[in-house]
Amino acid sequence: MDEDAAQRQRLKAAVHYTVGRLCQRVAADCDKEISKMAIAAIAETTFRQCDIFAKDLESFSRHAKRNTVMADDVKLVARRSTALSNYIQRKSEELASTNQEQREKRKKNAVKRKSTDMDINTETTED
Amino acid sequence: APRGASLSRSYIMNTFKHFAKTKVARDVYPVIMDIVQKYFDRLADDLEAYAAHAKRNTIEIEDVELLMRRQGFVNDATPVNVLIEKFLPLEYRKLLIPVATSGNKVIPKQRR
Repeated sequence: MDEDAAQRQRLKAAVHYTVGRLCQRVAADCDKEISKMAIAAIAETTFRQCDIFAKDLESFSRHAKRNTVMADDVKLVARRSTALSNYIQRKSEELASTNQEQREKRKKNAVKRKSTDMDINTETTED
Repeated sequence: APRGASLSRSYIMNTFKHFAKTKVARDVYPVIMDIVQKYFDRLADDLEAYAAHAKRNTIEIEDVELLMRRQGFVNDATPVNVLIEKFLPLEYRKLLIPVATSGNKVIPKQRR
């Protein structure tokens, strides 16, 4: 139980740190200042929102008879707000395309490596 | 959605008065009607998305349960059956809550 609470505190601190960085950036962008209290409030809100998101994602993935949360579940969570769901849709497409590229690259590299290996092998056998 | 079908005026007002426990002015009715319409529109939209998410064309009990969970009516402390017992009349309860009778027959037939 105590270990659990400590873990929670560490998580909260990490969220608070990141929220602070994001707030700093926003504040610099619009030439305004954000009070420490406001940052702490946003961090706490984020933390609790994560709780809600986690539960929703879990029930969505279970609903689709999966044990793994996938991009579809995330899209479903954000479905209610059009701007957000458009943004997430775009991001997921970007991610999918970069993933594909990487996979192709890896495949190509693997093929190349294999062929060079073979070249070396043939050379050595010739020698 | 077409704005024709809806619940009857007396049904909606009676239900509302039952839960409001105070006097309700007559001119509240159009507002409630509007809200109910919006509620059903959104409900249909959500259920469609949930059924599509599970790769089904048919909306099933699981979808409704998921919706009620997201609406906050169903949670770990209050399962669906508790809500059914609390808010639905006996004939609907009979349809929804499985009861074992003699010979280990379960009525209605349990899903899966």
